[in-house]
Amino acid sequence: MLSVLDNISLSLDAYLVLAGLLFAIGSFGFLARRNAISMLMSIELMLNAVNLSIIAFGAFTISLRESASVIALIVIAAAAAEATVGLAIVIAIYRNRKTPLVDEYDAMRQ
Amino acid sequence: MYETLIPLIPLLPVLGFAFTALFGRRLQAKGGRTAAEIVPVGIVIVVWVIAMMVVVPALTHAEPFGEKGLGVKLWTWIPAGDFSVDLGFHVDALTAALLIVVTTIGMLVHIYSIGYMAHDPGAWRFFAYLNLFMFSMLVLVLADNWVLVFAGWELVGLSSYSLIGFWYPKRSAALAAKKAFIVNRVGDVGFALGIMAIWVNTGTLNIAESLSRLIEMPAAELTIPLVVVALLVFCGAMGKSAQFPLHVWLPDAMEGPTPVSALIHAATMVNAGVYLVARANPLFAHAQEAMVVVAAIGIFTAILAASIAFTQTDIKRVLAYSTLSQLGYMFAALGVGAYVAAIFHLMTHGFFKGLLFLGSGSVIHAVDGEQDMNRMGGLWRKIPITHWTMLIGTIAIAGIPPLAGFFSKDEILGEAFKFGFYWVWGIGLVVAAMTAFYMWRLMGKTFYGESRVDPHVEPKIHESPWTMTLPLILLAIPAALLGIALGTPLGASTLKGWLEPVFIESEEYLYGTPATYELFGIDGYLILASVAVAALGLVLGIWLFGAFRRRGRPALVQRLTNANGATRFLYRASLNKWWFDELNDLLFIRVGGRVAASLWWFDRTIVDGAVNGVGTLTRGAGGGLRQIQTGRVQNYALGIAIGLIVMAGSFLLIVGQPR
Repeated sequence: MLSVLDNISLSLDAYLVLAGLLFAIGSFGFLARRNAISMLMSIELMLNAVNLSIIAFGAFTISLRESASVIALIVIAAAAAEATVGLAIVIAIYRNRKTPLVDEYDAMRQ
Repeated sequence: MYETLIPLIPLLPVLGFAFTALFGRRLQAKGGRTAAEIVPVGIVIVVWVIAMMVVVPALTHAEPFGEKGLGVKLWTWIPAGDFSVDLGFHVDALTAALLIVVTTIGMLVHIYSIGYMAHDPGAWRFFAYLNLFMFSMLVLVLADNWVLVFAGWELVGLSSYSLIGFWYPKRSAALAAKKAFIVNRVGDVGFALGIMAIWVNTGTLNIAESLSRLIEMPAAELTIPLVVVALLVFCGAMGKSAQFPLHVWLPDAMEGPTPVSALIHAATMVNAGVYLVARANPLFAHAQEAMVVVAAIGIFTAILAASIAFTQTDIKRVLAYSTLSQLGYMFAALGVGAYVAAIFHLMTHGFFKGLLFLGSGSVIHAVDGEQDMNRMGGLWRKIPITHWTMLIGTIAIAGIPPLAGFFSKDEILGEAFKFGFYWVWGIGLVVAAMTAFYMWRLMGKTFYGESRVDPHVEPKIHESPWTMTLPLILLAIPAALLGIALGTPLGASTLKGWLEPVFIESEEYLYGTPATYELFGIDGYLILASVAVAALGLVLGIWLFGAFRRRGRPALVQRLTNANGATRFLYRASLNKWWFDELNDLLFIRVGGRVAASLWWFDRTIVDGAVNGVGTLTRGAGGGLRQIQTGRVQNYALGIAIGLIVMAGSFLLIVGQPR
């Protein structure tokens, strides 16, 4: 156990940089990809980036340790629920429109 | 018993109207005119009998009427919180006096119409309207609250409109009906405002209650001053009774069938205004400025209309202006506080003017629809009954004793003098002379002198059937004798005794205890004066227009009408009715039309422009903003992302400066 802890970086910045990179990749994916499934995956990336930063703050700040774990768990649960609903919607639309591309979902446009 | 009889008086005619309106056409098609006429005429005769049964005890103050009259409340009509209007009738001596005139003349006109409308295919419609009019007028005089009076007021206007325009394919008749309706509305707006003002002041619409509250309240507590209330009510009276400046509709109303002119536009409906002011006498007595206005407008209308009657050639128009002039007398009487005299003149005038109109109808009938007096003349031997009855009517209206007009007119003039209104008395005397003159002009041009009738019509001149002459004879009796019957003994007449309870408080408030009547003093001189001027007018008329075998002086008349200078101006003014129609045309059609057109322009461009501008602006803004709603989730997400970056960046720049 301790050996694992010994090998981790002792700098908070490293975790935050990683979380920032993950979040940037997720944002780019969400904004740039036209495929609905890819967009959902990008959302998951962004959520996990946030989760990583929360956990990192929790690990480095004693007073936040328990809260951080709980928040991370709630975010995971919310992400799961969001993914379920999102996928269900995407599948329902796909059955109607025979396409996964969001810019072709234009029934409500004038 | 009276609780049943009184509601029957207006109820029966409205049933007759409904029946005739629904079945009259079919009855007339199957059974001829008689079948369609029997119900409406029969009903009016029954109404007359019932009315007489009510009138006699009401006038003599017998039980259960007493001095205050008898009220019959049928049901609560409009219950709304503390405000409620009952459907109820009230019969006192004043109502009874009106009932006599309305039902008697109404009945005789119905009978007369059987003969007069004998050749008209729309007879059933005519009788339906006549019954509707009877209903409306009876509601108006019987009502015990202002709302019901107003309902009757508007209903008589409606039936008057339908009957003036009875021959609606004739354009002039349709226009005259419209004119009467619109001019009446002008007055009615005032009356409606007056009723509202009464309610605002007193919180009740019952006539007796509201009047007694109005005069008991201290002036400071009144929301709307009494003078204003009285003038608003008088506004309605001016419209209905055709007083200056709302007099223009009555002469045109002669486009209707002659029985209508006799019933509605001479004997009954036009008296509604007089009745209204008499009914509201406590209100007027406590607003003496309003009374002066009433007297002034009345006497001005009297002389104005008399001057116009001088030159009109249409026999019915002469009578119409004469009616205006006599109504003016009645208002003058009301204005000086001679209430009994006003109602007396209303009654006598109703009878003799009804007689004159029916007589003129008989003349028109005899000469095959001709109304121009220049194409009559010499008829007195050919239609004797019409001639003699009309002669009685003429002498009665001229004010020669002992016929009816003398008593009532003399009472008005005498009281105006004694109450100190010398100007009313003076003008009234002049009008009396003018009345006698133009009435004799009518007689002379119609009945005497050489015949100027169309030669084709000449051999066909015939006396009217008995249904037309009988009402003439029956009306000639009261026209001759009503004055003696009601107006004697002079100074303390029968009618005064009957009507006293209605007016006594106002009269005492105005003038205290009346002075004793001096037949051999001041009152005798006043009688002599009014008889003298009436006789002068008559003699002048006979001298110019002839009588019986005596020739008139047509050449002199011709010279007068062709004269130059002031005479010519007066003649043309009279002939053109002092240009009131032209004045109204200028004021309300041209100038008013311009104002209306410019207001319309303002409404269209400025008001509508502002409203439409707001609409256009909103739509344009919405259309522009719609462009950013692309419907693509990624565009929104980009917006969110950029927004977040901007917010976070500015937070860092402003707050997170390195220390």
